[in-house]
Amino acid sequence: MNCESVTKLIPLYFYGELPPDEEDSLEQHLDTCAACAHQAESQRALSAALDRREMQPSAALLAECRHDLMRAVYRQASVPRRAGFSPRGTLVPHWGLSAWLPSLGPWRMPLGASALLALGFITARLTAPGAAGPFSLASLTPENVISSVRSVQPAHDDSRPGEVQIVLDETRRRVISGQLNDTNIQRLVLAAAHDENNPGVRWESVDLLKGHSDSSPVRELLLNRVAEDPNPGVRLKALDGLKAYTGDPEVRKVLAQVLLHDDYPGVRIAAVDALTAHAGDDMVGILQGVVQKEDNTYVRRRCVKALQDMNASVGTF
Amino acid sequence: MAQDAPGAVGARLSPKLDEASLIRAVQRGDQDAFEQLVRAYDQSVLRLAVNLLRSQEDARDVFQEAFLRVFRSIDSFRFDCSFHTWLYRIVTNICLDYLRKRKVRKEEPAVVDTPEGPLDRMNDFQEEAPHADPERNLWNVQIGQRIEGALGGLTPRERMVFELRHYQGLRLRNIGEILGTSEEAAKNCLFRATQKMRAELGDFQ
Repeated sequence: MNCESVTKLIPLYFYGELPPDEEDSLEQHLDTCAACAHQAESQRALSAALDRREMQPSAALLAECRHDLMRAVYRQASVPRRAGFSPRGTLVPHWGLSAWLPSLGPWRMPLGASALLALGFITARLTAPGAAGPFSLASLTPENVISSVRSVQPAHDDSRPGEVQIVLDETRRRVISGQLNDTNIQRLVLAAAHDENNPGVRWESVDLLKGHSDSSPVRELLLNRVAEDPNPGVRLKALDGLKAYTGDPEVRKVLAQVLLHDDYPGVRIAAVDALTAHAGDDMVGILQGVVQKEDNTYVRRRCVKALQDMNASVGTF
Repeated sequence: MAQDAPGAVGARLSPKLDEASLIRAVQRGDQDAFEQLVRAYDQSVLRLAVNLLRSQEDARDVFQEAFLRVFRSIDSFRFDCSFHTWLYRIVTNICLDYLRKRKVRKEEPAVVDTPEGPLDRMNDFQEEAPHADPERNLWNVQIGQRIEGALGGLTPRERMVFELRHYQGLRLRNIGEILGTSEEAAKNCLFRATQKMRAELGDFQ
């Protein structure tokens, strides 16, 4: 084995792609050739440097991707499409629930059903006979009933030994459609944006509502979600909807708190971008505080830049 | 010294589940099975797209397009290769298209120059370690731009082979199968990629 062939084999050796006999020959060569040994060390150092560049996508990004996929699949599945795909009921409502309740295993369906039930009370009120509003209610069909098993136990009737009693929770699925500027529809979406069991529904609701932030209830909802929602994807969406109002003192107050306390760097980045777009003297103290404690390089730099633009000192004394 | 790259791809199926049965269930229209199949692979698919494209938006698009193609064409899967290979053919084809378009468009790089020095925009979107490591942040800022430049000098195919071998931990034979080429061609591709990077970056000691 000569230096030329070793040079070509070093990457394969490093990645464990050489047959054992070639690996032995190469190692023997490296023991006696300083130049090739240096090349092997260089390969190892390059690899270590590249390892440090590797990124793990955030849980929020993965959740958003799953959510987007679910929506796209919904659109496809709602149109009769494939002969092989004629499932029990429609594809997506079940997918949607299970997609957002990943760690609950067999309990996810009852929980999902209870979330739907909670919304059901609202829709029942909104769609009661005589309720006004230009939205429509799709007709119910037997497939629109979701069942989940609440409990299974022996029947109490001693005269029928061996009989079991199965308690089912059933939830009816309804489809309501209408314009988002319709008060009843908007109330329903506002309620869905608080559905604590389903971040996917909250994300989708906030995504819809953020284009209507001129409405006061919607703006209040967005402020609440950006400050309180446990899911960073939802908080980011809500923040996106507030960008047009960064001059509003109430919005700035909430965003400042988000910048100081949110534990997700992506949200703090969005907050600092929004706040520094209209930086004023009222922000100096907050920005100085962020510079002192912030770990994220981008956020810190944006704050420093904003302070310098305002001719304010970067540190506190 | 010889080693496998960290983070080798592995489907995260429950041991109780047989993948072939799961795929057949999907082909029969079982949506639970489809969901399980997606979840077995979606993290590694997203990781590949994020690392390869260094763009959240592009990675998100690749993720959706890949699994939608799986959803549409699972009926045509005939078990003549592993599902992993079939899925990765789809994913790598989409990613290669993105890389080729990017070569033509000369898109904005992930690492950008700012008045305060180079900044990797993607650093802000990855999972944060429980305890931030200032040394790592500094390293990212100083070295990231050089590495991105070196990787940007690879052809899309070299980039893909390198990504699959180094970060996804796939064997070259499997990479060849995914990319529709031979193991030998994948070896040559990996060699060219590492040579180019070492020439560009010099020694990291």
